[in-house]
Amino acid sequence: MINFILRRIVQTMIVIVILSYVCFGLMSLMPGDPVELMISANPKITAADVARLRSFYGLDQPVYKRYFNWVSDIATGDLGYSRTYRIPVEEMMGPALGYTFILSITTLLFSFAVAVPLGIISALRPNSRIDYTINLFNFAGISMPSFWLGLVLIIIFAVKLKWLPASGFQTTGMEYDTYWDEFVDKGKYLILPVLSLSIQSIGRFSRFTRSSMLEAMRNDFIRTARAKGLARNVVVWKHGFRNALIPLITIAALSLSSVFSGALITETLFAYPGAGRLIYSSIMGNDYNVAMVSFLISVSMVLIMNLMADLLYGVVDPRVSYK
Amino acid sequence: MEQEVLTAEKKNVDPNTSSTLSKAQIAEMEKVQSLTKIIYSQFREHKAAVVGAYTILFFILVAVFAPVIGNVLGVDSESQNVFARYKPPFSRISVAMDVREEMVKKYMANNPDEADVVAKELIKEDFVTTKQPADALYEWSHYEKRKAMAAIRLLNIDADTKVELRNLAKRFETFHIFGTDELGRDAFMRLIYGTRISMGVAVLVAIASSLIGLLIGALAGYYGGVIDSLLMRVTDALISLPTIPVLIVVAAIDLQKIPGVSSILSVGNESILKLVFILCIFSWMTVARLVRGSILTLREREFILASKTLGATDYTIITRHMFPNVLAPLLVSVTLGVGDSILFEAALSFLGLGIQPPTPSWGNMLFNAQELIYEAPTLAIIPGLLILFVTISFNYVGDGLQDAIDPKTIKR
Repeated sequence: MINFILRRIVQTMIVIVILSYVCFGLMSLMPGDPVELMISANPKITAADVARLRSFYGLDQPVYKRYFNWVSDIATGDLGYSRTYRIPVEEMMGPALGYTFILSITTLLFSFAVAVPLGIISALRPNSRIDYTINLFNFAGISMPSFWLGLVLIIIFAVKLKWLPASGFQTTGMEYDTYWDEFVDKGKYLILPVLSLSIQSIGRFSRFTRSSMLEAMRNDFIRTARAKGLARNVVVWKHGFRNALIPLITIAALSLSSVFSGALITETLFAYPGAGRLIYSSIMGNDYNVAMVSFLISVSMVLIMNLMADLLYGVVDPRVSYK
Repeated sequence: MEQEVLTAEKKNVDPNTSSTLSKAQIAEMEKVQSLTKIIYSQFREHKAAVVGAYTILFFILVAVFAPVIGNVLGVDSESQNVFARYKPPFSRISVAMDVREEMVKKYMANNPDEADVVAKELIKEDFVTTKQPADALYEWSHYEKRKAMAAIRLLNIDADTKVELRNLAKRFETFHIFGTDELGRDAFMRLIYGTRISMGVAVLVAIASSLIGLLIGALAGYYGGVIDSLLMRVTDALISLPTIPVLIVVAAIDLQKIPGVSSILSVGNESILKLVFILCIFSWMTVARLVRGSILTLREREFILASKTLGATDYTIITRHMFPNVLAPLLVSVTLGVGDSILFEAALSFLGLGIQPPTPSWGNMLFNAQELIYEAPTLAIIPGLLILFVTISFNYVGDGLQDAIDPKTIKR
């Protein structure tokens, strides 16, 4: 057990280190380094100046040397500055991660709340009309581009009906009297992003719940429970659902990766100030220090979540043995 | 095949059908069915998958015959008209004057004699104000389509010339089923050409990435040991990464900065090839896992041992004896992979990092449309609907194939 945990932790660390190196190398291949920006800003610059600037910023050194310099800076707690906003990266990163966390968790909870009942309904009446309808809905959810759903939701609820705001995370210049006011106002801005982001997870979870519930209801102890005359509700919820839940927990934790992946587009579409949008806008704006740090931190978070999901599996299901 | 005989007998016993079953039919039922036939008939029972297959076929036909459709409708995907931007669906737009004059000029150059007659007629009948025969046709071309057509009908010229002039006048006005986009291009034709790009990229990615997956999975599964654990660690690592952020980082690199690459790529198709390449790197992992799993079990089977004993090389064993056995699940994952690739292409193009304009793809049409959801909501809705239809079709076909090849679900 300890062995397994240690090995998984080491593996995750190695992935993060390799990823950071590859990512660092890729960033140097992106258009526009700081010196190029200065060249375009100042037409009088000479070749000697360019060379001097390059050596000043360390850009004349090979990638691996720059990488080690960067890593040792990170290790001392210096995440660097944003080239565009001239503020430390951690000041941009902190709130962005918080917003993405809120968005992802709300999405996960919402998709669970919708998907689990759907999956159970279709598992209890397999091959019925309602099962086929839910199945169609699931397939549509999986096959739908979430950003397109977001666009359609904006057109319906923000442009035509004017019920909900189209973008942002709170009403600008709003002063909150109570926590409740703040909750309601920010919640209003969350509805559309959460709806569009959760459609894919709803489809996936619902299909998963269905198959896992069907599997659970096929167990011998279900037949025993029925045979001894237990109420249908008790059989379904206490004996069936509790066993179907085990694989669901891990699927939820593992799907954080895809939720975060989708969150990048959703945040960009809804101008929601999360980590995904920070990654995207800093890459598009040639702000590579921010891009590197925000990309690595959020991807590491996802990997650590995956690791925890793996370990959690053993806690919820004692039958699992680690080898 | 006992089962089939049984069903045949059962049907024979059944009083309703016994009279209708001829000997030939019974013989047909007793015949041994090939695996492909079983899978095919099994697939036919999955209604949604069949509908999906026809939808895919329809879109493939649309993609292949895109130029033909353009000719029939008289519109193309590239001609711009800045005076007719964001027109709503089903709008008729009169073509810009310079384009019409160009058409007339071409006509006059090709048929100088007829043009001369027509010009004189136009002046005689007072359809045009000018008295110069050289200008008459140009003035006629400035009329609305209906007026221009009416003028032709009243002219005293031969029938062939009339037909030709009518064809000319028909092109004075264009009809846009889905309206026009931000440059006044026909949205419908762009969607049709977008079908080519989006589906082409997706199919290419699905096939290429499954070949990569096949190779890696086969190596890992067959040789085991260090190769296996190394390849599988890489697979695990890639699979656990959040796809879109990683794709964005890779898609943002400037190919010109990599020495040697810029000379291979021509400017026109750079973004398409780059996208295919990037999507391939990050979508072979599921296939690799699947192939490895099947090959691990196949490795222990007797027929592999037999061919090893006969002295077959590793290459022969893998390609001749193992690949045919993983073909069916591979087909399923290629089908499902096409659906995923369409979504990823759309996502990247939507972020402005995929297919670059002016080449149309469903994703970058959405990217262009998102600025204008107030003026032209249809431009944002329709490309997404097509993505949804095609992806859902591929997913259903994949699901149907999965059911069809799964021996547990085969009903004989």
